Amino acid sequence: MVLATALLLTSCASSYHWSKSHPAYARAPYGELSITGLQTALVLTRTKWFANRLDFGDSTQIKATEFCAKAIEREFRSAYSNLSVLPDSLLAEFPEESQKLDERIFMKGKLPEQGVSIKDAAGNIPPQILLIHEVIIGTDLKRENFFDYALIHNESEERRDVKNISAIISYTLWDNVKQRPLFSAVDEIQHPVLKLSLTDLEQLMRQTVQQIRKNLYQGAGK
Amino acid sequence: MKHLAQFLVAVITLIHVFWASAAYAGDVYFDSKWTLWQNADILIWTTEKDSPIDPKEFCLSLRRNNTGIGEPKCRLFGEWERDTVATRYASWLSNNIEPGLEAHYLKARHPSMMAKFQALEDKIVLYITDKGSDLKIAIFDENASEPRAVGSVSKNADKIALGDEIASTLFDRHTTRRLSKEERLKKESEPDDLYKETPTFRSWGGISAGFAQAQIPLTPDNWYSSHTRSRVGNYRITKDSVSLWNFIDDSTPLFTVYVGGIWFGFIGGEIFYRYSSHDVKIDERDSVYEELDHWNFSQHEIGLNVLLSRSFEPFKWLDLHLFTFLGFQYSFYSEDIELKDSKKAPSKEYETRIRFEDAYKGALFGFGTQCVFLHHYGISVRTGLSSRGKDIYTEPSPDAAAEPTTIGASTIDWFISFGLEYHWTPFK
Repeated sequence: MVLATALLLTSCASSYHWSKSHPAYARAPYGELSITGLQTALVLTRTKWFANRLDFGDSTQIKATEFCAKAIEREFRSAYSNLSVLPDSLLAEFPEESQKLDERIFMKGKLPEQGVSIKDAAGNIPPQILLIHEVIIGTDLKRENFFDYALIHNESEERRDVKNISAIISYTLWDNVKQRPLFSAVDEIQHPVLKLSLTDLEQLMRQTVQQIRKNLYQGAGK
Repeated sequence: MKHLAQFLVAVITLIHVFWASAAYAGDVYFDSKWTLWQNADILIWTTEKDSPIDPKEFCLSLRRNNTGIGEPKCRLFGEWERDTVATRYASWLSNNIEPGLEAHYLKARHPSMMAKFQALEDKIVLYITDKGSDLKIAIFDENASEPRAVGSVSKNADKIALGDEIASTLFDRHTTRRLSKEERLKKESEPDDLYKETPTFRSWGGISAGFAQAQIPLTPDNWYSSHTRSRVGNYRITKDSVSLWNFIDDSTPLFTVYVGGIWFGFIGGEIFYRYSSHDVKIDERDSVYEELDHWNFSQHEIGLNVLLSRSFEPFKWLDLHLFTFLGFQYSFYSEDIELKDSKKAPSKEYETRIRFEDAYKGALFGFGTQCVFLHHYGISVRTGLSSRGKDIYTEPSPDAAAEPTTIGASTIDWFISFGLEYHWTPFK
């Protein structure tokens, strides 16, 4: 009976769909990509825990997220030869909308208006933009606690022994020409730590970007 | 050979006709169940500078294609063509309509665009956009902020022919009469047909006829054969006497009278009386029966059932109640035996013939359904198992062996019955 219940629970947990592709999403971006959201999307949880272990001085929240944003940008630059980072202000005026990924999984983020193409500083229209909605950095985070509406109000236990530092990232690959979401997903990345250092944090961000790229490839043509 | 050639020509002509009509009818990508009103107000919303169709001619095309449409009114939807949000959505739609994309991929996301759709009230918006080789068309109404139907028609400079093609592609359907303002208001305040309060108490009375037998359907014969094949020899001898079916015929018609009631459509009770008549299975080879004219037992049963029920209302005029029941009953057997007129005195065996117990008690359970038409007139079907017996486990006594064994201590049968019922609700 206990076994059956356990099986039932695990089968429920694994039945989430964490990504959604548009029928017209045929090919993952290659070589060229624009990203936006790096200025405001990052959030560090358990700031005190990180502050005790990293040498950022007084403003760990600000400096750690800046550090992570730079790490993400560096990793994207190494993957896409023609990467442009668009300022977050381009999306600021749009309302926040939710996208349904699964029966209970809703992801929130700002999307450009239908019929309006985003232009970069030079006035060009980038064909595809990766909209980064939210990056939550913390310890031993689980994405269902943040995105399953049935679990959102559960208080998560504060674990004393940290096994992993984790990042949860929600993003949309936006077709800027036809103004439609091509691929939307929520990813969870865990990086085991014994003694936290900046290298671990950078490593976590690199893994995050790699996971995004992997999903962008797997989601295409579905 | 000549006939074959003629036949082939006919077939090819037919194929051409089909192909031509299919091409003429345009291509529908999807079409949900939107309502086409009689005397419809149709607003033509297009991204083009010059409308590809002429509103007046389109109205005539509609009347030619759909005889039920009455007198439609068509005009260009200037309000939306001048509106920024609507124009943006229109150009977005023009970019995004593709075969294979379902309606929700074409949903308008802008809040003020959604509000525009909701404010349409009965009017039908026909969206037309020029895609070079063909025209994409879509239908919008007040019920959704996504297109209700999308299709494409081939481009045609002849506005009348194009109007005909659009009319036959998307407007070829039944029309519904539009409600007046007063009717609309009234309808909004009317209670929902499908909403019905379950009465606090519902009662019924009924009679039913059915059939009972020892064998439960889909079970093997040999479970019962020792009882059903048994014959009574010498007025009292059988192989065993555990079941009454060793003595009397088990498969007989069954008649029931019952009254019942149910609280909150959920839990209820039923009192019933059941009657059936069973012939004794005498062994014909036994010469002692030559004196006998007839010998049978009438079975009278009264009992009480507890019901658990679940109700459905598939139509306004039909209530469907599925129920399961569990109950107990007392069974009485009255003997009807008579000798032939020619026989003056009965034999000794007759005098010492088998006697049943005064009363048996038993249980019954089963399930059934009541279909109640117009809240009063019901037909019902129920099936189940019923038993009758006597406590076998009496206190042991020294002369237990001398006591007579109980006849029919475990008698079980299966029954099915069909009833006519009258239902009423004495208090709501």
